[in-house]
Amino acid sequence: MERAVEIKNLVKCYEDEAVLKNLDLQIPKGTIFGLIGPNGAGKSTLIGVLTGLLSFKEGDIRIHDMPLNSDNELAIKRVTAAILQPPLLFEQFSSIEFIEYICEIYEIEEDGLIEKAYSLMDYFDIKDFAKIKVNKLSSGSRKKLAFVTAVLIQPKLLLLDEPFESVDVISIERMKSVIRRLKEKGVTIIITSHILEVVENLCDDIAILHHGKIKAYLDSVSRKELQKDASLHEIFEKYVEVEKKENIVDWL
Amino acid sequence: MLVNLVGTAIVVVLMDSDPWMQLQLPWLTPEIYSFILLVFGNVYWVMHFSFTNMRLMNIEENRKLLGFGFPLKRLAKYLTVIVFCHPVNIIYNFTWLVFLLIQIQHAYQIPVAIAAVALNYVLIYSIKSRFIRVVEKRFIAVVIGFLFLIFGLFQFISLLTSNSGQIIAEFIPKIETINLVFSWLPGGILIQTVTIDYGLTNAAIIFTFTSILVGLLVLDHFNKTKAGLLNPGLRKAEEESSKLWIVLRKILGRNAGKYYFYVMKHPYNRLQVLTLAVIPVVYVPLLLNVNYEIAQTILIPTILAGIPVALLAMGMANMYGYENREFLLHLQMPIKLEKQLKERFLGVIVLPLLVFYLITVFELLVIPEIGRPIEIFVANTFFFLMFMLLFIWSSYFQYQKATYSSFSYKHPIIPQKVTFAISFLIFSLGYLVFVPLNGLEWYRLTIMSTVIVIMGIYLWRQMDVLVNLFKNRVLMKLWNEL
Repeated sequence: MERAVEIKNLVKCYEDEAVLKNLDLQIPKGTIFGLIGPNGAGKSTLIGVLTGLLSFKEGDIRIHDMPLNSDNELAIKRVTAAILQPPLLFEQFSSIEFIEYICEIYEIEEDGLIEKAYSLMDYFDIKDFAKIKVNKLSSGSRKKLAFVTAVLIQPKLLLLDEPFESVDVISIERMKSVIRRLKEKGVTIIITSHILEVVENLCDDIAILHHGKIKAYLDSVSRKELQKDASLHEIFEKYVEVEKKENIVDWL
Repeated sequence: MLVNLVGTAIVVVLMDSDPWMQLQLPWLTPEIYSFILLVFGNVYWVMHFSFTNMRLMNIEENRKLLGFGFPLKRLAKYLTVIVFCHPVNIIYNFTWLVFLLIQIQHAYQIPVAIAAVALNYVLIYSIKSRFIRVVEKRFIAVVIGFLFLIFGLFQFISLLTSNSGQIIAEFIPKIETINLVFSWLPGGILIQTVTIDYGLTNAAIIFTFTSILVGLLVLDHFNKTKAGLLNPGLRKAEEESSKLWIVLRKILGRNAGKYYFYVMKHPYNRLQVLTLAVIPVVYVPLLLNVNYEIAQTILIPTILAGIPVALLAMGMANMYGYENREFLLHLQMPIKLEKQLKERFLGVIVLPLLVFYLITVFELLVIPEIGRPIEIFVANTFFFLMFMLLFIWSSYFQYQKATYSSFSYKHPIIPQKVTFAISFLIFSLGYLVFVPLNGLEWYRLTIMSTVIVIMGIYLWRQMDVLVNLFKNRVLMKLWNEL
């Protein structure tokens, strides 16, 4: 099976503290991959490393068969789009200026690009904000704008860190629908989320990250097997070794 | 505070109309003494108005307490009081009290003076809170108006100093009329509370009326604060066209153009550019009229050489602070970081460099008396490069987030250390570089040319390590801002 992302023995430290510890992970091409884990597990750091924003201490990363190093950095960035949490946007531009700017950087010069941008904005109910400055948008609209832009630059690998946070229910469904269509086109999508129901319904494969290590990798086959007896929530609790703390708040 | 009090004491006590002072300063007649007091009082009132600080109100931040169940009325009450507790407000009001009470003639004037100071403060507060909204809406118009006012003031002082004898001769007979006008301006009215013998009954009436007015205004502040806490300043987002972005993009390209667009969007920078445009128009003609050689040979070239440096500081001293975490989006782009940083770096120096050349040509053509062409050119280049080094260092080692509020204390655009270093260095360097050395001029030119070459080489090499500096010094801070 072809791999979109292949990570071997990845170590990432903040000063002396290791956040990702000898992490191994393979993500097949053309899948929707869910990365779940408690706060501080290292999900955002992993996204940061994959986008090239953070350097790493040890290990090998290959994205679309290209090693992530200075030689391939630009080629990898060209096929990758990422939405971080909170999303990074150019605050002083209007929404449409932001989209135009990013598309120009990624050399997307097809006919009707602006029409496509407007139709996608319309789909996510942010068309009225096209000429409004980004810093005036609500957090949900900002996330939708980042998503629209990421789709327009036609990536092969789409990294989404908490994409559904602050987004309304209707737009979440529309985002899921777009994500599925991107998958049909062969795009690999990596999603981190705390909403297990969304991950369960949307993702093909799921990995549980805890203390900087992959505790479990659930592909479609193993998920079916495991989920016969337990929900994803119960599986998650088992792997992150949730400590029972009810007695701490007995006073309530 | 000490300066305020010492100034007050000098005006009131040392210039008192006692016989000894009349002997020492025979020109200090009671009318002129009143005139000085009234000018001081009114100028001090203008300063009080300008510096009255409402920062501690911070409704947007404090209203979060309501979410934790803090009672609205109590919060509004605390905020009404806390604004007064800003040290600047306390200093000004305390100085007013000292200034008035040392002039007191009757005991009944004491409560009236205190009530008048209180009324003065609440009135300033009321006017200013409304004035700030006007300033926000018409920022550029207000700034231009202010600059014209300053310009007019300088011209007035210039006229006054050049024709002082004639003006004083005409002015002295009219001093009583002028005093009458000044005594009915805000500072003058405050002084009247302690210099006029209005009797006990009138004092009681004025005190009661003033106290009621203070009470009503405080109540108004309280109600306005309460309303403000419940209705934050949410405004409907309006469409904005970015013509500036289109122009800068055409001139400087999409990367450097975008960066300069961000620099110019900061309200403080727009104000700085306006100020920089006005300073030479005001100062240079003034200094050229002065007969001191030092003004022409040191001050004018230092001020002029400082202009491109100030522009350079604006764009370069905190290059990542404007975009802050947004800059991470640039790192995601499929364009080499080296290329992006170099484009920015070159974009940032284009405008100051253009101004630098315009000023050098202006100096050579219009005021050749300040030095020979080679001296001016070498000195200006030395000045420019010296500060460029300081700003490169500042951008990487003194990075901090620049907020979009003007004159932010907490997160200024340029770190305070750098601002201090710039102010100190501009005048020290100005003295070193522009002071006439006559026979030793060639030694200085040789030293400056050598340092220019060394700095040029250093800067060229520094371009290659910009990326490493960025990764080592700035990137982690940007990431941590997420």
